[in-house]
Amino acid sequence: MEPLTLSTFPRAIVHIDGDAFFASCEQSRRPKLQGRPVVTGKERGIAASMSYEAKARGVTRGMCLADIRKVCPEAVILPSDYETYSLLSKRFFAIVRRYTPDVEEYSIDECFADLTGLRRPLKMNYFEIAARIKKDLDAELGFTFSVGLAPNKVVAKIASKWAKPSGLTAIPGRELHRYLAKLPVEKVWGIGPNTTALLQKYDIRTALEFARCEEPWVKKYFSKPFYQIWQELNGYYVFELATGEHDTYYTIQKVKTFTPASSDPAFVLAQLAKNIENACIKARKYKLATQRVVIFLRTQQFRDYGLEIDLSGPTQFPNDILHAVIPAFDPLFSPAAAYRATGVILSKLTEAYYGQLDLFGETIRMQRLSNLYESVDMLREKYGKHTVFLGASYLAHKSAQHDGERGHVPDRKIDLLPGETARKRLGIPMFMGEVT
Amino acid sequence: MPSDSEISAVVGFRSKQAAYQLVTRFLEHGLLEKDAVGTLVPGPHFHAVPVLGTVTAGFPSPAEEELADTMSLDEYLITNKEATYILKVNGESMMGAGILPGDMLLVERGVEPRDGDIVIAQVDREWTIKFFRKRGRAVFLEAAHQDFKPIYPTEELKIAAVVRAVIRKYS
Repeated sequence: MEPLTLSTFPRAIVHIDGDAFFASCEQSRRPKLQGRPVVTGKERGIAASMSYEAKARGVTRGMCLADIRKVCPEAVILPSDYETYSLLSKRFFAIVRRYTPDVEEYSIDECFADLTGLRRPLKMNYFEIAARIKKDLDAELGFTFSVGLAPNKVVAKIASKWAKPSGLTAIPGRELHRYLAKLPVEKVWGIGPNTTALLQKYDIRTALEFARCEEPWVKKYFSKPFYQIWQELNGYYVFELATGEHDTYYTIQKVKTFTPASSDPAFVLAQLAKNIENACIKARKYKLATQRVVIFLRTQQFRDYGLEIDLSGPTQFPNDILHAVIPAFDPLFSPAAAYRATGVILSKLTEAYYGQLDLFGETIRMQRLSNLYESVDMLREKYGKHTVFLGASYLAHKSAQHDGERGHVPDRKIDLLPGETARKRLGIPMFMGEVT
Repeated sequence: MPSDSEISAVVGFRSKQAAYQLVTRFLEHGLLEKDAVGTLVPGPHFHAVPVLGTVTAGFPSPAEEELADTMSLDEYLITNKEATYILKVNGESMMGAGILPGDMLLVERGVEPRDGDIVIAQVDREWTIKFFRKRGRAVFLEAAHQDFKPIYPTEELKIAAVVRAVIRKYS
């Protein structure tokens, strides 16, 4: 078979993926759960992450609690402890950054890293560097990661998936065709069902068949992103890494489910107000202001009803947003429906700045709000989130987000250390269970 | 050294007596001395610069530089931040080593335990805290309490972490 390219690693990109990340975070801190089927996502009523034991018994992502119990009665179903997962995720990226500063935090449980040029300073070849990163991660976080090394992101993703869990796969450019020949084209990152269907019309079934298509043909029939995927499948480096920790956002989204579903407009509005407050906390943290707000209500039938609201000026304060949202809420809310979630998306984000003087005292008002929220944020820093909240979201704060078994909160929020409060805990992951 | 009358002129005293008294004071403090023939000569403290205290002026406070050499309690207790975990002790098996129920431990994952280290091991699907002992090739776990027998692993001994610090917070 003819290779697609003759070079090995013109660029050395690794993709690293935590194996069953959330479930692994749970298993690694509770020996009781090791070797057992573990599912997280209880509070959402669906499987968010499954351990390999649970996957083997047929539990799939998004499966509802009743179905999980049917296919796997012995499954341990836990509420998500995002605080712990986030702490471990940060450690994951910090460990990779020991080796290279060029890390793209792709999601909470995966990242890309560029190792190009590090062979000499680290006195190792690329495969050895990738192996060392994996060894550090596995040892220090207490569960396994899958690592793929390749000349670009698309192929690195193929490599990390090649031998999951705990895989370490290197695909040098020269060997690329051997891997692609065995890979169905729909398994390639970025190729969805529509593209797969189109490719099948031309009898293209493997990634290699796609990679071997003539360039003018690919350019003619596919849009730019697919042409770029084609280039990467041929060993070129096209997709750059978005390195650096997240320092800005294009949109800020907050969605929260609650149980039981509610037909009470005051309660649903309070839930929405709480989301707006949370979104504003994030906006203020990154010094952003929004000028367009999308709100939506999700019914029990999983149907979303939304509205887009343009604000007269950029803001980062929930008071302003609620002022515009409340008149829009009434027409959106249908008393006949039962709602299970609300959400808000802040978009058209700009840097927050109140220097511009105006004729109508808007600057003064904004300065006052800014002072007020500076204090609110200080209180939050000191005493925890929602120490001070708007009256509009009172009903959402009054009771737990979920009733019944979905109301189970993570153990870590109950098993407090001396001096910790329900609102503020040490930022160090904890080993759970009896220590004798 | 100037004479008493010259001192009076410089300092602005009307009488030589006042100048004499000033000189006497200087003699007492060792700023001046009398030589063998009684002539005034500079004493041991004549060139010394007295330090009366510090005055805050436009110079940067030296405090920041001094504090650069101090560390936070976090830094003191934690060597490898990414590998450090916390846990709460329930049992009494390490009382002899001063580790009591309710104590918090800072433990480090991913390090090779050495003989004598206090470790967190996984025994029968539970965490246990014990001394790690190594005798030749054999390894076992030992409690610091007479009621607990040493644990000799039948299979592979799973050491999850090594204890780096004990924290006991009152009130």
